[in-house]
Amino acid sequence: MKLIKFLSVLVLSLSVLSPALAQESKPDQYVKIRLLPERNVVRGGDDIMIGIEQSIYPGWHTYWINPGDSGAAPRIEWALPDGSSIGDIHWPAPDKIPYGPLMNFGYSDNVILLQKLSLPKDIPVGPITLTARVEILVCKDICIPEFGEYELVLNDPLAPKEDNNAYLMAAQRKLPVPVPWNAAYDVQGENVVLKLETGSAAILENIEPGSFDFFPVEWGLISNPGKMKMEIRGGDLILTQLKGERSLNELNSVPSVLAFTNSAGERQAVSFIAAHGDIARVKTASAASGLVKALLLALLGGLILNLMPCVFPVLSIKALSLAKAAEKEAAHVRLSGLSYTAGVVLSFVAIAAGLIALKSAGAGIGWGFQLQDPLVVALLAYLLFIIGLNLTGVFEISGHFGTLGDRLTQGTGLTSAFFTGVLATLVATPCTAPFMAAAVGYALIQPAFVALSIFAALGLGLALPYLILSFVPALQRVLPKPGAWMETFRQFLAFPMFASSVWLVWVLSQQTDAMGLLHILIGLVMLAFGFWLLNHSPGKITARSIVQILAALAFLSAAALLPFGDKKNEPARVESLSFGEEYSPARLANLLLSDEPVFVEMTAAWCITCKVNHAVAINTQEIKSLFAKKNIRYLVGDWTNYDESITDYLNSYGRSGVPIYVYYGPRDIVTGERPEAKLLPQILTPGIVAEAVNSY
Amino acid sequence: MSSKIAYFLVAMTLAIMLALPVYAAPQIGAPAPDFTATDIEGNEFSLSAHKGKKVILEWTNHQCPFVVKHYDSGNMQATQKAAAEKGVVWVTLVSSGEGKQGNVDAAKAKAIVEDEGAKVSAKILDSSGEIGHLYGASTTPHMFVIDEQGALAYAGAIDSNSSPNPKTIDGATNYVLAALDDLEAGRAVQTAQSQPYGCAVKYGK
Repeated sequence: MKLIKFLSVLVLSLSVLSPALAQESKPDQYVKIRLLPERNVVRGGDDIMIGIEQSIYPGWHTYWINPGDSGAAPRIEWALPDGSSIGDIHWPAPDKIPYGPLMNFGYSDNVILLQKLSLPKDIPVGPITLTARVEILVCKDICIPEFGEYELVLNDPLAPKEDNNAYLMAAQRKLPVPVPWNAAYDVQGENVVLKLETGSAAILENIEPGSFDFFPVEWGLISNPGKMKMEIRGGDLILTQLKGERSLNELNSVPSVLAFTNSAGERQAVSFIAAHGDIARVKTASAASGLVKALLLALLGGLILNLMPCVFPVLSIKALSLAKAAEKEAAHVRLSGLSYTAGVVLSFVAIAAGLIALKSAGAGIGWGFQLQDPLVVALLAYLLFIIGLNLTGVFEISGHFGTLGDRLTQGTGLTSAFFTGVLATLVATPCTAPFMAAAVGYALIQPAFVALSIFAALGLGLALPYLILSFVPALQRVLPKPGAWMETFRQFLAFPMFASSVWLVWVLSQQTDAMGLLHILIGLVMLAFGFWLLNHSPGKITARSIVQILAALAFLSAAALLPFGDKKNEPARVESLSFGEEYSPARLANLLLSDEPVFVEMTAAWCITCKVNHAVAINTQEIKSLFAKKNIRYLVGDWTNYDESITDYLNSYGRSGVPIYVYYGPRDIVTGERPEAKLLPQILTPGIVAEAVNSY
Repeated sequence: MSSKIAYFLVAMTLAIMLALPVYAAPQIGAPAPDFTATDIEGNEFSLSAHKGKKVILEWTNHQCPFVVKHYDSGNMQATQKAAAEKGVVWVTLVSSGEGKQGNVDAAKAKAIVEDEGAKVSAKILDSSGEIGHLYGASTTPHMFVIDEQGALAYAGAIDSNSSPNPKTIDGATNYVLAALDDLEAGRAVQTAQSQPYGCAVKYGK
């Protein structure tokens, strides 16, 4: 770069002629400008960062994009080669510069503005010349505008190679970091009140109280010299300052910068857009959609639940029972369908009501919370095991207990239909199915009646196939004719049940210790033994009583072996992490302040979708090497047990269940900004992961 | 609420504002704060005496490059001439404190007016900054347009281009003339506020 021409309107250079007077006399320029390319050797299609460095004479200052009460922002006009383009100026956070009763926003000493230069695909061989006309106002007590024209030559074969990357990266770190906080401002009396929802009280703990400076890009929003009052409420920051002279009905969203000193004593700044609105209700609508869309999604999610391995057997048996029942009158079949639907929908509503009640009591829980309690997991393992026993025929005969299995799965009575519905709901809850997370996430931030209707829709979706079957005789006739094969098929269906039970026992192994695991396995043996005893009761009354007492003892011991009050409140450790590191809010916050890309996965032992996704689409050689190649920091959070920080994270994306996969692209080398975080679908393929990661 | 009470409240507010060290600008549409002062010719100027006429207030500092931009180019004089032809009263104020840039005595001020060829109804030396604070004048130039009823109709910059470069006057919108046109046509002033640009007003202690 060389300075080819410099015009100074008011200042003449005397210091050059009389060096002895140099200290007292004016400099020939109060602001020395240098154009610094990231590198001076470029190729076609390159994007490079250009720094416009101002070295400001001691005691003098230049201005930010909003100069405050007086002054003017610098202007840079580029003359570029054909096909090139230059981006907006990126401004570091300014300082407050008081002048008498006025307040200006600007810079002193040394500051670097950044602009991104995009070169066309085809560039000529040889030197490429760019010219910047810089107009800059520099003030102390008085103001002086300085005008200059500066030339930047790239690919000059005679010039030495220049690499300013490290220097410009340091400048880029002084740019405000864009944050996704909800921000709103409103006028209250004489003041403007700004409310920032950071979403985490932890963020605000790292900030020196009273070190805030608020810089709106728009003029007239605040009275610039006014003192700012600050208040922290949880994760919310509330700033109050005397309002400015501008009538606010012409202002809408105001891009803003908030500068502060962190606990390490460093000056930091963030940028966000403050909306003009009711600050009492800053909570914005989540990423999820409106009610109708949420209801439809819930219905669809419910339908898909029918295909889950633990639900499917229950429903197939139930459906086949319709074939048997086909001889019965159609009205009865329809009533049975309705009872089943009622059972499902009411169970869902009951779970939702419980969830809402717990949430309003302040518990940081989300969808799937049922399985965060080892007791519930153990009970479900027992239940699925018992159903499996029933299906294999260990106990299917008449008698008090024998009817249990029938009730649960086979009967056509209205009560049994209702309880099949309850059972289907219970076994369907383990994992948030695709489509369900968005709907449930939406539900949980809505008023109670909306939330309940969404859960009801979810239940209706689950019940729908059977309900339709019971109402359309034509479909019933399509079912295979009853026969001896049904008994075989029924026994076969026991195995998905046993498998589901084994899976729940494995989940439990994540939540409890080896001894707890042993207890539950012995419990299962006791259950099997008890049912076997009942199935083989001798004919003699006394002998039968003894057998029944033994069976009762077996059941009691199984119950006693349940994990009551186990360590359900301890967050789970991420198990067997083959690569990546454990998620914590602090770790993520730190990584996001760095430049590297970050991939976050939230999982739980009880979430099958999570496990399958991880095995198929993440924990593969292909994806591992892709992550390594792109230097992606991979964080995994385990939600198997209650963990409020993970619940908060899920909520911040409008979700309330796992899995969730979020990719934070690398910081743009030129603008210093990260691209918007990318939310991946809930069913992953290696292709989806690779595409997301390769998109930036 | 009767207008008398309203005026009383406004007057009280103004009195409180005067007592405050932090300046607070008058609102568009509200009565422009009244003031009485002696101009450089030794005549008394009172804003309330000019009710029924439009009045323009211009804050100036002849050494400020932004003022120089508009006087050396003739843009300010042309604006003054256009205003005078419409019968508008033009008042130029200097709020530079003693020893500060732009602070002048009456004789020097007269010489500057003559030298510039400025067309002003009155030029007032406000070295105490009292009137400047009353209006929240922050820059030179900083312009205020007051309508016939004495209400503030425009406050802000002279035009839409905040560059100190005189070449940018061509193509910029002159907000003062635009406001006068709107008032004359009986329309609402389209741009009633803009961010004033220029040097800070060099208030004294």
